[in-house]
Amino acid sequence: MSQPLLKVEDLRVEFDTYGGIVQAVRGVSFDVYAGKTLAIVGESGCGKSVTVQSMMGLIPMPPGRIVSGTALMHDVDIIGRKEIDGRDIRGREIGMIFQDPMTSLNPTMSIGDQIAEPLLVHSGYSKKQAFARAVELLDMTRIPEAEKRARQYPFEFSGGMLQRAMIAMAIACEPKMLIADEPTTALDVTIQAQILDLLNDLRRETGMAIILITHDLGVVARMADEVLVMYAGQVVERGSVDDVFYRSSHPYTLGLRAAMPVNDRSAEHTLTPIDGSPPDLFHPPKGCGYCARCPNAMKICEDSDPEVYAMSETHTSRCWQHHPSATVRVAGLHYREVEA
Amino acid sequence: MLRYTLKRLFQGLITVWFIATATFFAMHNVPGDPLANDKAATEEIRANLEAKYGLDKPLVQQYLIYMGNILRGDFGISFTQKNRRVNDIIAEHFPISAILGILAVVFAGLGGVLWGALTALYRNRLPDIIIMFLVILGISVPSFVVAAISQLALVNLNDAVNFSLLPVAGWGTVWHMLVPSLVLGLGTMAYLTRLMRSSMLEIVNSDYIRTAKAKGLPPTRIFANHQMRNAILPVVTVLGPSIAAITTGGFVVELVFAIPGLGRYFVQAVQQLDYTVIMGTTVFYGAFLVFMVIVVDLLYGWIDPRVRLE
Repeated sequence: MSQPLLKVEDLRVEFDTYGGIVQAVRGVSFDVYAGKTLAIVGESGCGKSVTVQSMMGLIPMPPGRIVSGTALMHDVDIIGRKEIDGRDIRGREIGMIFQDPMTSLNPTMSIGDQIAEPLLVHSGYSKKQAFARAVELLDMTRIPEAEKRARQYPFEFSGGMLQRAMIAMAIACEPKMLIADEPTTALDVTIQAQILDLLNDLRRETGMAIILITHDLGVVARMADEVLVMYAGQVVERGSVDDVFYRSSHPYTLGLRAAMPVNDRSAEHTLTPIDGSPPDLFHPPKGCGYCARCPNAMKICEDSDPEVYAMSETHTSRCWQHHPSATVRVAGLHYREVEA
Repeated sequence: MLRYTLKRLFQGLITVWFIATATFFAMHNVPGDPLANDKAATEEIRANLEAKYGLDKPLVQQYLIYMGNILRGDFGISFTQKNRRVNDIIAEHFPISAILGILAVVFAGLGGVLWGALTALYRNRLPDIIIMFLVILGISVPSFVVAAISQLALVNLNDAVNFSLLPVAGWGTVWHMLVPSLVLGLGTMAYLTRLMRSSMLEIVNSDYIRTAKAKGLPPTRIFANHQMRNAILPVVTVLGPSIAAITTGGFVVELVFAIPGLGRYFVQAVQQLDYTVIMGTTVFYGAFLVFMVIVVDLLYGWIDPRVRLE
């Protein structure tokens, strides 16, 4: 495969709290390729958002702290940096949209002005040019009557329209990468589909990469090229969307799939939730983070952190099940083809 | 917008009418009357005076006459100050009170926003702790104490340098206005500081500030364009009532600093039951305050598009 646009390695983030140090992200690595969508999936508190926000310098420090890790973009580590070759990272190289469009826009500034702002700051547009471009961008994100809408304020927009405006703002400077942090969680299903289609179209038109953070596997299946399954601050499985859905190699991924509704009307199909709750990240477990909830946990899972096993060139799993001496096969779990 | 303004002005008019009526009847129910002093020496003189001022008529009739006069913009003649029309008293002394009040509001507003923003930036660090301590003082110490202490401090200061740096009392130049208006605005400034601080802290953690950061805007721009305007909203909301607090507080400060403002006449009039002056100043102040509250409400709409009207 070609050179990745962004290469994140061994990212670790901690937070000082009154209760002690929370290890929110514990050694996350991934690559993002131009024109592709990487989905980061996992339940609340697994470190998805912190991973990308720390890269962007959006976590408050203190209490937050990036303990280790690099995020290379054009061979430059962007962590703790503001610019690459004089081009700002935030807003220029990487655009970002958030979960709740209702509160993510400034209520006292017109939509057009807010979209125009990055252009003023990063691209040296004049006020007039920037506003004109903002209208074009609104049009690109399929907001009707963009000219009129640009002069309106966030309270005059619906949730879906606000998310479109957010997208327009994020792509204003034609960034190489768009980070979408649960972009559709606050929206109803039809609007969700429209926003996702819009993101896909924009990706195709502009060739930008997308990091899509979500806890909705349906969204992942629809959007992603590559998937990162996170649990307790670690990547437990990583692979192409087909790898992760059809050749799930981590019990957590299996658990998520079992808990996902499918288009099956028969009464036999029941959703199976994953029992228990994620581990306390004040004191992360010595072994596998998922061990306490894993129906197939072995003795070793409790004692030592699993190694990362390469299932194929693009597919890895962080589970002891793939150790050569693990002999009991778990139903539904995909194993490596081991040569005899 | 025009309709809204007119509606508010009409409502304001009703409020002022209510103030006038309530004051009128309350005033006449206070024991004694303006002629109780040595003026009305004999029954005859008293009867003549009562006839002159219309006090011999039934109360309701007096009320109607008075209201008619107010509508024509005539507040009548003072009972205690010889041959002075209430309109003249207001015209002569209100501008002084107004300048004092406006300066105080400006001090309070600017100071409150500035200190509030500063304490929020330095949250839980030394500047914040010091300013917040002073704020508690400013809120809890009444203005007549602050006025007296600051006057004493001025005297000592001028003594120490053996030169009149700032005048201790009186009115006339900008230097006369400085200390009294600061003193007058202090309590409100302290209150606004607290308000500004908490609203700044709330907004620092808001989603749209995160968006602004993600857009890569420089911190100064985030502060000026995104944080301040939103943080200032609650401050503007209380500005209307603050103006009321400052104008009424002005009476005391005017007295301490020997400023010939309207407040002094108001206090004197109440003591002497000078009916026309009480009515005149009350109605005038009432109208002024109602008007200021309307202005602030319109200002609010200008700052916050959400309450802007078609």
